[in-house]
Amino acid sequence: MSDLELSNRAVAGRSLPRPPRIGTVLALAFVAFLAVATFAPGLLQTTDPDAIAPRDAFEPPSWAHWFGTDESGRDVYSRVVEGTAASLLIGVSATAIGLALGLLLGGLAGLGGRVLDFAVGRVNEVLFAFPGILLALLIIVLWGPGPVTATIAVGLSTAPGYARIIRGELVRVRTSSYVEAARVLGHGRARVLVRHILPNALAPLVVLATLGIGQAVVWASALSYLGLGAQPPAAEWGAMLSAGRIYITTAWWLTVFPGLMIVVTTITTTMLGRTLAARDGSRR
Amino acid sequence: MTSRRIFRSLPAVALVAAGAIVLAGCTPADGDAAATGDPVTGGTLVYASGDAEPSCLDPHVGGNYPQALIAGQFLESLVSLDESGEVIPWLATEWTTSEDGLTWDFTLREDVSFTDGTPFDAEAVKANVEHLKDPATQSSTGYLALGKVDTVEVVSDTVARFHLSVPDSALLESLSQPWTAIESPTGIARGMDENCVAPVGTGPFIVDEWIPQDHVSLVRNDDYTTGPADRAHDGAAYLDGITWRFIPDSASRYAALQAGEVDIIDNAQPDTLDQASKSGTLVEIDAPRPGAANRLELNSGQPPFDDIRVREAFIRAADVNDGIDSLFFGTADRSYSVLSSVEQLAYSDDSLFDTDLDEANALLDEAGWTERDSRGIRSKDGVPLTLRFPVSTNQSIPAEQSLFEQVQATAKEAGFDVQLSPVDLSSWYGALAAHEYELVSAPYTKVGPDVLRILYHSDSITPAPSGYFANLAQLDDADLDALLTAAASESDPDERADLYEQAQQIILGGFYALPLYDQQNHFLHSPGLEGVRAMPTVSTPTFADAWLAD
Repeated sequence: MSDLELSNRAVAGRSLPRPPRIGTVLALAFVAFLAVATFAPGLLQTTDPDAIAPRDAFEPPSWAHWFGTDESGRDVYSRVVEGTAASLLIGVSATAIGLALGLLLGGLAGLGGRVLDFAVGRVNEVLFAFPGILLALLIIVLWGPGPVTATIAVGLSTAPGYARIIRGELVRVRTSSYVEAARVLGHGRARVLVRHILPNALAPLVVLATLGIGQAVVWASALSYLGLGAQPPAAEWGAMLSAGRIYITTAWWLTVFPGLMIVVTTITTTMLGRTLAARDGSRR
Repeated sequence: MTSRRIFRSLPAVALVAAGAIVLAGCTPADGDAAATGDPVTGGTLVYASGDAEPSCLDPHVGGNYPQALIAGQFLESLVSLDESGEVIPWLATEWTTSEDGLTWDFTLREDVSFTDGTPFDAEAVKANVEHLKDPATQSSTGYLALGKVDTVEVVSDTVARFHLSVPDSALLESLSQPWTAIESPTGIARGMDENCVAPVGTGPFIVDEWIPQDHVSLVRNDDYTTGPADRAHDGAAYLDGITWRFIPDSASRYAALQAGEVDIIDNAQPDTLDQASKSGTLVEIDAPRPGAANRLELNSGQPPFDDIRVREAFIRAADVNDGIDSLFFGTADRSYSVLSSVEQLAYSDDSLFDTDLDEANALLDEAGWTERDSRGIRSKDGVPLTLRFPVSTNQSIPAEQSLFEQVQATAKEAGFDVQLSPVDLSSWYGALAAHEYELVSAPYTKVGPDVLRILYHSDSITPAPSGYFANLAQLDDADLDALLTAAASESDPDERADLYEQAQQIILGGFYALPLYDQQNHFLHSPGLEGVRAMPTVSTPTFADAWLAD
């Protein structure tokens, strides 16, 4: 997948560790903000995110309401902060599910011999034939909408991509000269696997996971936008975007700020992923 | 998504018919449009509907509002209503009823033919009633509207005699609705598949072509001579035809109107109306639908709303006035009646709906819901005070869904845990059929106060064959049943009004429903379109007298 190419290119391009760039620092700062918003949203919020005030509806951004107010007079900033936990939780859990399944499938394919490799490969190809979001929608139709289903759906839909990358890494490492050498030296199968193959093949996973979170947040938001994720009055970025969409010509702040959060979160995790990839490459 | 309009796809069964006299407030906002210029002949009007595309253009089949909107352009009824709600002649010129109210004679217009050449006569009326009552037609709205009609006897070519099983004070209103309009018997005889594609009537336009998922083409009926007694001009329509398009997305529909691609749109949304009124060039038609107002029904058939104190507490806690003002941009007025404001017999009592959080808390304490969890949600004997509220995204517009979130927030202050679940139509029916709801909003269109019998008579708790039951409040009150049954057969207008008032007092006083506003029905059209009006029957627009000035 492109993620792999990306990390490989990073590997090829950089050979020396470099001081953190300003972008990385900003990204880390934003991650810190997201962490606080996730675990202690009250520290950042200016008001109760679900408190309505119909008379103050549709107020543009001001000192009292940094991101303006929505159609029910709720504070958009406080809701965006509140939505971080939902969006990130779905993003992180979905990535974990996707990675775990990817590891299982990729491991079977990469280490399990020809027959298993063939079988898993074909299953993967079938899954790839569906756009991921379609697969996610199918799962939601079967199990009903809600945050848990959305998480599982996004996780399952991303698994084939991970599986393919992991298989590729395993095959690459398994056939590398140092593994050959270890075998020739008479090390046992298990020892070769644990000491040589796994650490080298799975190191890129950290990078993949970081990159994947951004992707999963976008998908989770997309599902909530369609009304299939978070349910009202839960503040979730995608759901906020959806609710604000009809007022886009009159109240731009209802869509711009949740949208910005999704974009910045995705850019941030992607940047961190790339930085990790670069370091990973430079260590090798 | 924005297209989930108020009535959009309540299936046929929800649209039942029959009723009393109605006054539809539906003149164009610019006042007397017809007086601003001389009518121009020619041109094709483009209509953009936000409603679901009907699966059948024959309003006898099923019978919902989208069908009524388009069928009104090519089908006509026996009678109509004028703007004061009086019944006026249309295809029938006069009618008489027997002393016992069981026989009605309708005298029909002479020398009228359907657009396929079939003569309009008493045989045709008989064939239509039989078509509506035939289970194979799968009629719901028209079928229920004519539920008390046993048979139609052909007395002569121009006199049709209706034999009723019991007196029906709502018969004329029932016959004024598009769902009981008269079609060509030859057309009906072609069978449902063919008749659904192009029903044949006597109206000002003829169905020319229907390209599903795209549009319906209507062409002028050059031989048109009929029309309700209050029609503005005689003879054929001015327009050459109508292109009836379906544009479900509200913003796209409005953009098409602004760009001049279409001449008129229905289901104009509150924010759109607000923009249009500021731009000042478009003309609005506000035609609230008859029948029931939009309201929240409180399911009194099971806990916790089987306790009147809990129902009253909810109504005292749920604050909707500010939300209606802000979410609807002043386009909807708060209602304090379960009936539409166009219903002359609508009874309102705003004193019952004052919000008072202290009173709500006191009532819940008294009813035993005294424990509170960390979120402030009350419980009683370990059972939390949960209100399941399935919302049909097909029927509730975004502004209304936001209003429900506000109800959720204000009710929570008293300790109610309102669980909103926006769902598609079939899941919504499923939740209702399984009684998995404490709150629900289900609009209902029908001419006249007899809609109260459909919505609140205990008979309506029993599901129809389709599985739907209209008495969603599950109101089971013998006194109310007796009042509603008596009113439906009462021919004396004053007696009838009195019975309906007593009935509405029981409904409002028992806190079975929280009225919100009339079923919103706003149209926007270009200033070049003149002479259009909404029918005083079910508030559908008619283009029989309309012309394009540009």
